[in-house]
Amino acid sequence: MHPTIRLIVRNLTISINPGFLVWQVIFPVIYIFVAGFAYTALIKSVPFGNITLDYPAFIASGMIGFNIMNSTLVSGIIIWNDRRHGMFEQILVGPFTRTNYILSNVYTIGIVGIISAALITAIGFPLFFTSVQFNALTIPFLIFASITGSILFGSIASIISTRLRSSEGFNVIINTVFLFFAFVSTAFYPASGAPQPLATAFYLNPLTYLVDIIRAGIFGTFTEFVMIEMIVLVSVAVTLFIVAIRLLTKLDL
Amino acid sequence: MSAITARSLHKSYGTIPAVDGIDLDVRSGHIFGFLGPNGAGKSTTIKMLTTLIPPTSGTIEVLGINAIKQPLEIRKRIGVVLQQPSYEPNLSVEKSLEKYGMMWDIDRKTRKERTEELIGVFDLNEIRKRKNEDLSIGQRRRVQVAREFMHEMDLLFLDEPTVGLDPTARRKLLDYLKNKVKTGLTIFYTTHVLTEAEYLCDKIAVINKGKILAVDSPNNLKNTFGQEKTITIHLSERHDRLSELLSGIADCVIDFTTGTNITIQSSKSEVVLSQILQILIENNISVEDLSAIPTTLEDIFLKMVKDSNAPHN
Repeated sequence: MHPTIRLIVRNLTISINPGFLVWQVIFPVIYIFVAGFAYTALIKSVPFGNITLDYPAFIASGMIGFNIMNSTLVSGIIIWNDRRHGMFEQILVGPFTRTNYILSNVYTIGIVGIISAALITAIGFPLFFTSVQFNALTIPFLIFASITGSILFGSIASIISTRLRSSEGFNVIINTVFLFFAFVSTAFYPASGAPQPLATAFYLNPLTYLVDIIRAGIFGTFTEFVMIEMIVLVSVAVTLFIVAIRLLTKLDL
Repeated sequence: MSAITARSLHKSYGTIPAVDGIDLDVRSGHIFGFLGPNGAGKSTTIKMLTTLIPPTSGTIEVLGINAIKQPLEIRKRIGVVLQQPSYEPNLSVEKSLEKYGMMWDIDRKTRKERTEELIGVFDLNEIRKRKNEDLSIGQRRRVQVAREFMHEMDLLFLDEPTVGLDPTARRKLLDYLKNKVKTGLTIFYTTHVLTEAEYLCDKIAVINKGKILAVDSPNNLKNTFGQEKTITIHLSERHDRLSELLSGIADCVIDFTTGTNITIQSSKSEVVLSQILQILIENNISVEDLSAIPTTLEDIFLKMVKDSNAPHN
């Protein structure tokens, strides 16, 4: 077995535990089925592109992006744990290169991201199936969003993990950053109708771009603006990925 | 055949030299002890030999492979237990061993067999289902050392492997290592426990301030540096004139600070002892007890480190 694959197997083994699965499944399910229906009393419908969605369909599709983001925390946690518990050095005195280590984390993020997206798509499907506009671009859009989003948020988590050693610091920073991403975005509510500063803040957040692209894929609303969002998302993901790789390559031993 | 050859090995952090031009030759099939106080350069040397960090200058060959040009080829053939703990917190002991074997590409059947074998050898049966994060420091260290034997290797680096182990576990590990060497394994071993080094090692290097002070077998080190012996004479009662009476005796250091005890250190201890006893008898000073302590590796080590720390060094 190739060294990178061996490390991916190891990464998945140490990451996938009951706590992680609860985090990955229960939280989004509560958002989709509790918040989705409860808020329907307040939010009857949400305009999206040239269509109108009911709120459960809107939040269920938003949860796909939200879950991709959450799942990529795994990469940060793996790197941080490896450094804290000595496994980073131990792996690098074994039959592996730094490239193997970095690639294994990238692939782990991708795998977890795609599985998370697929899981929430399956769970949320009953809520948005009446609005789904399947066409040739739907699946490629979802895969594109899963991979690009995973790399982007995985890179952010990796960057944070390379800069912090203490568990308190890591938890505070990662939770603050990801809380901002989660709630200052269009995952839960549309930008239209929000106060202008908040709507602007939504578009400083990569999660907004990610959920917009996912919704465009599911609901068939491919506009010029979505294309621009895709370009922005890829550019930010590539930039952050390069920064993360550089920091990981230079990580002190 | 040489398992490790290092020449003029330097490692500096900024302007501070951690390892300062050392040469090493470790023969295959031997246990090579590497002793030194904290901060002497032991771990930095191990990190360079295991290719974890590059040297600032100098050459390293491990198992005949150039460490700077082909580090991965070396890492495929060595085992390393670093000084710092390394573990997967949420894996059980059993699963840790099994997954570590998987990381080394050991087939499933062999992994299973070795896991069982090592659980037995390292007394891990009672804790095999417990997670690493729930283990004591000593238990975790045992797992860390055991784990390294999941894969085949030609050379094993052990950086203070017995830290945190109880005496029984420690002796069991040392005997296990001795048996492994009989099968052709070479071991590079660092420790602070000098009796361990004496028990285990074929050759010992003493390092301080990044420089090698001596390299030889434990016995040769004792013969070369351990001529001085320590004799303790316990008197029945305190005598105020004692220091005056013994002041004329040459070639020895006498410590009167313990009251009724006289501690003599000399390389001519037999001659000095007879002179002292004669003076004591002439002055009716009775001796209650007398003991001679052979030179230990620890004495030699402490003396070497003390000498190398002296201002002229």
